[in-house]
Amino acid sequence: MKFLGFIVVCLTGALLLYGTGDFSNWGDPNSPASLHLSNEYIERALEETQVPNLVTAVLADYRGFDTMFETAVIFCAGLACFLLLRDFREKKQRFYRHIPTGVILHVKNSKKVLPVGREFEHIDKDWVPSDLIIKTVCRILVPFIQIYAMYVVAHGDFSPGGGFQGGVIFGSSLILIAISYDLKILVRRIKEKVFGIFAAVGVLIYVGIAALCMPMGGNFLDYSKLAPLLPGDPHHVRALGMLGVEIGVGIAVTAVMVIIYINIVSEGRLEEGL
Amino acid sequence: MNLLVVLFLLVGVFFFLGGAIGIIRMPGFYTRLHPAGILDTMGILLMVTGIALYNLIPFSFDSLLLSIKIFLIVFFVFLSSPTATHSIVDAGMRAGLRHWTNKKRRG
Repeated sequence: MKFLGFIVVCLTGALLLYGTGDFSNWGDPNSPASLHLSNEYIERALEETQVPNLVTAVLADYRGFDTMFETAVIFCAGLACFLLLRDFREKKQRFYRHIPTGVILHVKNSKKVLPVGREFEHIDKDWVPSDLIIKTVCRILVPFIQIYAMYVVAHGDFSPGGGFQGGVIFGSSLILIAISYDLKILVRRIKEKVFGIFAAVGVLIYVGIAALCMPMGGNFLDYSKLAPLLPGDPHHVRALGMLGVEIGVGIAVTAVMVIIYINIVSEGRLEEGL
Repeated sequence: MNLLVVLFLLVGVFFFLGGAIGIIRMPGFYTRLHPAGILDTMGILLMVTGIALYNLIPFSFDSLLLSIKIFLIVFFVFLSSPTATHSIVDAGMRAGLRHWTNKKRRG
């Protein structure tokens, strides 16, 4: 079976390598992309979409389908990570610290759960408590990172940035909470279910905005038909549509980043990690 | 004024150079973190001061605002860089790495 798989992989690789032979040379001015497509984008993107950043215009408008399925791919990555790694079985052993005496209890009976509170404290076996300096600095930095992430999402159609980058930055701020405090605090503040819902909602926002164009009389992803729904200058409606789409991408990417992180570090148990 | 900016930048480059040489030349894990943490922070302070001064030369409210924004970079580096060094040292101590000693002199 392994040998068969090896043959299939080799054949596919050879086929792909054979296919690259037909590509035009790197940076060839006579290739079809340079002859027609790039010039068309550069000349007409600003006048058609009113978005000053050409990259965003190409990514979210001319090639909107591509970006939509990229978002779907990221959602699938999070889903696969969850389905492969998430482990709902009860943990066999727990560790507690008796706070007044500092004695550490090792409870091997999985049924017995001590009340965590003033008397007993839950401790992790693998995780070392981070000290005050790291906790405090991360607490100061996290809001700034989140504001920056929102800026990157919102400013995506004017400057480099956009939903993917902003989503990753926002996700990293949440991961920083999990690293500097511990995983339980993150999962207690934002439930795992919420991350799952947000991952789906992000993709849904993108597809919803795209599908909303159809009853308004346009094609799928034709943002210009949304003009009656949105306030402001009708010329900027494409930029606004792209902004909405970018927000959806940002939400999906944030949630998927956190889902992947929390499932990998804790081997799917979400109890203790790292 | 331009001379001052050049001076700041050159001193900043000097600190960065010292940090880079220190990372290569220092013996042991903890001593290498020392130039990496301290000299980089100092170098970035001086270089960003130079850039902010250069930006201020046609003085206006906008350029002042931009200079303050540039200085925010220093603020965040000052917060995060020592913390990162601290956490690396902390991880090294917890993992049980011994500090470097000069074996020749001792033995």
